[in-house]
Amino acid sequence: MPGLLGRPYKTIRLEWSSDLQLLRVRTCVRPIQCYTLAAMGELQQMLNDISANPGLVRHFVMTSDVPRVFNFGGDLALFVLLVRARDVESLKLYGQRCVDLVWWMENAANLGIHTTVLSQGDTLGGGLESVLPFHKVIFERSASGGFPEVLFNLFPGMGAWDFTIRKGGYAVANEMILSGRLFSAEELHYRRLVDVVAEDGEGEEAVERVVHEVDPRHRGTLAALRAQRLAAPIRYETLTAIVEQWAESALGLTDRDLRLMERLARAQARKAGGAAEGAVEELKRMELENAWGERRTGADRRAQAVGDRRTHG
Amino acid sequence: MLPFFADLVTATDEDRRAFENHPVLLDAVAQGMAVERYRALLLELYHVVWHFNPVCAAAASRMGDPGHEALQPVRHFMYQHMHEETAHETWVLNDLQAIGVDPAASQGHTPGVYTLALNGYNYWAADRRHPCTALGMLYALEVIASVYGGTFSSAIRERLLLDGSAGVSFIESHATMDTQHMADLRVVLNHVKDADSRAAVIESTRVNFHHFTRIIEAI
Repeated sequence: MPGLLGRPYKTIRLEWSSDLQLLRVRTCVRPIQCYTLAAMGELQQMLNDISANPGLVRHFVMTSDVPRVFNFGGDLALFVLLVRARDVESLKLYGQRCVDLVWWMENAANLGIHTTVLSQGDTLGGGLESVLPFHKVIFERSASGGFPEVLFNLFPGMGAWDFTIRKGGYAVANEMILSGRLFSAEELHYRRLVDVVAEDGEGEEAVERVVHEVDPRHRGTLAALRAQRLAAPIRYETLTAIVEQWAESALGLTDRDLRLMERLARAQARKAGGAAEGAVEELKRMELENAWGERRTGADRRAQAVGDRRTHG
Repeated sequence: MLPFFADLVTATDEDRRAFENHPVLLDAVAQGMAVERYRALLLELYHVVWHFNPVCAAAASRMGDPGHEALQPVRHFMYQHMHEETAHETWVLNDLQAIGVDPAASQGHTPGVYTLALNGYNYWAADRRHPCTALGMLYALEVIASVYGGTFSSAIRERLLLDGSAGVSFIESHATMDTQHMADLRVVLNHVKDADSRAAVIESTRVNFHHFTRIIEAI
């Protein structure tokens, strides 16, 4: 335990409750909470330490220390750098690191660990992908989430399809990934991606309730969850293959697509600077612009097809 | 084994993020800058851009020296890059003029200590430490331009109500031009094979990011 807790992490904070053998991880990538290379390195180190000490941890809980944000997902500036450098290898490497983290979560029951995650804010793209493998997903009511990647001609490539299909079904996965829409906690709960919606400020209590409910039934719960994974397996090879496709797709991003990502990065910077509006509001604007652009294009097509007298005299 | 470019990105990621996440830059990206501060930034930038090609020339003259024969392809890349960057300091002068600073005043501006330190390191390192340090300078500046230039110039244009590219032409144009530059640079960097050359690139990248962050901080 001293080894696990003693490392000088910069992007995560660990807390240990020995009575429940509960490890609490609070992520704190500042000012913009996203999956940077350093953050993923530290998370992987922590998970490696847990794996090296079987039986030590029974409960694993993850939350964010950044107010109003769980995680914005990928490091957008890094993506822009690698896309402009045409560096598909590094994109694949980045994706693989993400997959290794979700894969550990997916197999936590095999290590005797029950996992719970609490979101109290924006949970976007890779941020939402990262919570889906947890055994229990809790959102506070004002938290929201979605996969906006399609808005800039990409898609979530680190587990979104597999985990969304398993939790919510094909229709939900299609709806969420292909629309790029953002969803409230209630809407995500309705779609089965979120297990518990807690009132704002009551998320920590909800976590406590889950842990205390599971603890006396820990062995049975984990046995059932391992069987669940057999009934609806997710394959590491599929996750890796999708990462490869994602990296190849990223190389096809145009300047327009990268400018949209830059708009999102600016919005994240604004929220980090204390503005009320941030990435979520910017994504809603992008959705509206997309929808308005489709309506205008549709009207033009219809006018040309039927020889509309209003445009053709 | 990973290509060197992947190693370089990983090894210098936190230095890049220290630049990206500096409160001054975050605020500038979110809200733009007052015209006085933007003038101050461009005045410093002028003196960085002016020395870019001479530093590359100093480095290129050392590539192909005994002990650095394998760097000849890198030297040819440097020639090409210097040709493409010729007179780009004039674009900075034009931007300064668009926001009220005449060329004589720009050229007569005494750079700040961090700009002097940056240029000093780049010249010294290219000449006395290892010629591949110039590649680190190139990488850091290309990243700053191509990754952050677009958002920064948009914010400045909006805040200062600039018309078209007037006043932001240098930063804005390098945000898009450097698309191909970055891809070319990756290919060249992956040709750097020996450990000393790679260490020199990484060291210089970190120093350049550090000093650029200080330049922004001091504005």
